[in-house]
Amino acid sequence: MNAADLPPELAQPATPGLIDAVRSIAQGSLAGRAYAIDRGAYPVDLLKQLAAAGAMSAHLEKADGTPGDYGLAILAMAEAAKVCGATGFMMWCQCVAGLYLQASGNPALTGERLARHVRGETLGGTGLSNPMKSFAQIESLLLKATPVDGGYVVNGVLPWVSNLAPDHYFGAIAAVQTDGPGASREMMFMLRCNAPGVTLKACPEFSGMEGTGTFSVHCKDLIVGADDIVADPAKPTIARIRGCFVLLQCGIAAGIIQGAIDSMWAVEGQLGHVNQFLEDRPADLQAEFDALAGRILKLAETPFDTSTDYFIDVLDARAHGAELCLRAANSALMHQGARGYLMGSEVQRRVREAQFVAIVTPAIKHLRKEIARLSAEEMPA
Amino acid sequence: MTPQPTPVSAAVQTLAPWQSYICHACGYIYNEAEGDPDSGLAAGTRFTDIPEDWACPLCGVTKSDFELYEAPSLDALRAQASDCATAWTNTSRSAHGVTIVGAGRAGWQLAEALRARDSTIPITIVTACAGDVYDKPLLSVALARRIAPEKLIKETGAAAARRLKLRLLPHTQAVRICRETRQLRTTRGTLRYDQLVLAHGAKASLPPALPAALCWRINHLGAYLKLREALGDAATTGPKDVLIVGAGLIGSELANDLALGGHRVTLLDVQPEPLARWHADKAGAQVLQAWKDLSIRFVGEVKVASVERLALDAERLWQPQPAGTACAGQTTRLRITTECGQHFAADEVIVAAGLQTPSRLAQSAGLAWQNGIAVEPQTLRTSDERIHAMGDCITLDGQASRFIEPIARQARTIAAAITACEPVPYEPKATVIRVKTTSMPLTLH
Repeated sequence: MNAADLPPELAQPATPGLIDAVRSIAQGSLAGRAYAIDRGAYPVDLLKQLAAAGAMSAHLEKADGTPGDYGLAILAMAEAAKVCGATGFMMWCQCVAGLYLQASGNPALTGERLARHVRGETLGGTGLSNPMKSFAQIESLLLKATPVDGGYVVNGVLPWVSNLAPDHYFGAIAAVQTDGPGASREMMFMLRCNAPGVTLKACPEFSGMEGTGTFSVHCKDLIVGADDIVADPAKPTIARIRGCFVLLQCGIAAGIIQGAIDSMWAVEGQLGHVNQFLEDRPADLQAEFDALAGRILKLAETPFDTSTDYFIDVLDARAHGAELCLRAANSALMHQGARGYLMGSEVQRRVREAQFVAIVTPAIKHLRKEIARLSAEEMPA
Repeated sequence: MTPQPTPVSAAVQTLAPWQSYICHACGYIYNEAEGDPDSGLAAGTRFTDIPEDWACPLCGVTKSDFELYEAPSLDALRAQASDCATAWTNTSRSAHGVTIVGAGRAGWQLAEALRARDSTIPITIVTACAGDVYDKPLLSVALARRIAPEKLIKETGAAAARRLKLRLLPHTQAVRICRETRQLRTTRGTLRYDQLVLAHGAKASLPPALPAALCWRINHLGAYLKLREALGDAATTGPKDVLIVGAGLIGSELANDLALGGHRVTLLDVQPEPLARWHADKAGAQVLQAWKDLSIRFVGEVKVASVERLALDAERLWQPQPAGTACAGQTTRLRITTECGQHFAADEVIVAAGLQTPSRLAQSAGLAWQNGIAVEPQTLRTSDERIHAMGDCITLDGQASRFIEPIARQARTIAAAITACEPVPYEPKATVIRVKTTSMPLTLH
């Protein structure tokens, strides 16, 4: 998604500096390492560099109270994802971890910890895949929190949490174990990977996106104190930030789609005479993508809208992004032919990145199920 | 401490069939016959014998996140999946045909009219409901005429789809129209269209003070069938107290039918009489006369302020409790409070406070809107040349006309336009209304 491709009213001329800075990192050092990242090299230095440039904090409210710019955060993510989908995904992880810290209103999280996160001195992720599916009535919560003096003791295992290393942290949600009747409750906290009782275990090999710092996280009697609490109860905070969470993911899809379209044009001179017989030609995909990008940036103007209709629009834009990713990446492979099928080709890698966008929570099927659930007319039971 | 297995119990366990256990988190299946040799569990290791610190080889969660798994039969799964249609995205450049949103009378009438004119044009119907064919007016007289709920369906959606050679996507939400690419986005995939017809009807309004989880709105068969189930049969399970908010056409007809079905009805309205819109025809006075021997109590000039579920043990104390907290299997009564402070108690509350056209689809396509989807009166075309609209969701010059009679004529007009036949201009005309208050039916103009 080039700012130049967008309708003039949606382009972001006010802060061209950030996009230029991200582009220079993406097309410079990131481009040369994208294949290695896909195969398993976690690019901690590049992520810190991108964060330091402001690429993962544009959406956060500024110190003077100026609201964050979600459109800019999405464009920055897309600029990197165009070159490396895995990096775009890790930028999203860092973006939402920052959102949790800020939304907590907990001075222990919003002060120096947030500042260091924004500067890229520390990195974090999100373990909300399971809770988001739990709230959409797709699966049950895997972490359990038992109240104790001054906090909770947390037990359980989360599979597949990304952008982690021993000194990182991520947002997590646990079901609070309460005795007797009363409404069930969840609490949200920042889980420090180096806290006593936490073990990171390697996951089996995935077909791509291997350098994303993805581990299963085992918690055995992990003590969570007041300093790490993001929200207790968690649901009101989740209701406020769920739109932001899903909307920001659109940046990954946007980059992958644009990267795929660019790779079709790259062979048009030589192969246009045969490629003209393919469906999903680059101009058609670009037109569909530009309309989608316009919708995403329009939604990004009101990220904290909590209405059901707004959230359905966000879920649908995210689903459209994933569907278009699959079509664009696959069509790019058809357009490039054998050279795109080489193991080291970005075109081949992008097919796997697109598949990731389509299956990562919320996957296309989860998005549709949630839209159906939210659209149903409520009646007496 | 686990008891030591006796030789007999050990033998029984050895002979027991192998079982499988599924991981909640990732879906990995542990099969006792195969074990998990990579983690040191030999083939034939019973799940109960696996150490507690064993982890799922795929995602790493522990043993406690597994549960017994019985593989369902493939035939059963296939049968189940065939009930769920999907919208495949047709990316070829062939004709995409007509997509109709809505399978009420409008949607089906259009499909019939199109098929009568063109035996090959591809037709797809997308609908949030089951898609079964029924006559909506019967919902107001079914009890009096002793029509069993299952007899209300004239033809199942699947049978009608087969007969008309069209594709029906039931239980599918239409989410957005992408005009530029002529796509309809739905919860079962994206459809491409050459022509789109919006026939999704209107939705029953619910004043903000009234909770959706406690108030029925009867505007389609699905909700009606659930209401009938909740009411039960007055003759066998006893009469219920039903409170109806709104004494317009639908509210008055339902009151009449439920009372004839043996239930006790209280009918409220902000106006001093029922059917106040037809005051000049003395409609209110006539229905009240017709109802004098029925169990219908009309209370006029009241506005409902709240509806609450009463706590079971404190019912006599009028103690409200939050919506949705009643325990399953226990029925508690509802308390209705008016703005002027009157209280009513009821088993079921029905709100019949008018209809509203949902704006999501029209807005997503930027279609002209005037209290509903604005269509051109003679052609029923919206502001997009490839999108027509008909039935309860449209307005002509800002006026909705939500009656049955115009629908067949609207279908003929749109079918002629889509199949490029000689135009059949639509003629809006005033509708004659028959109020189905069975004991004394009224005709209103």
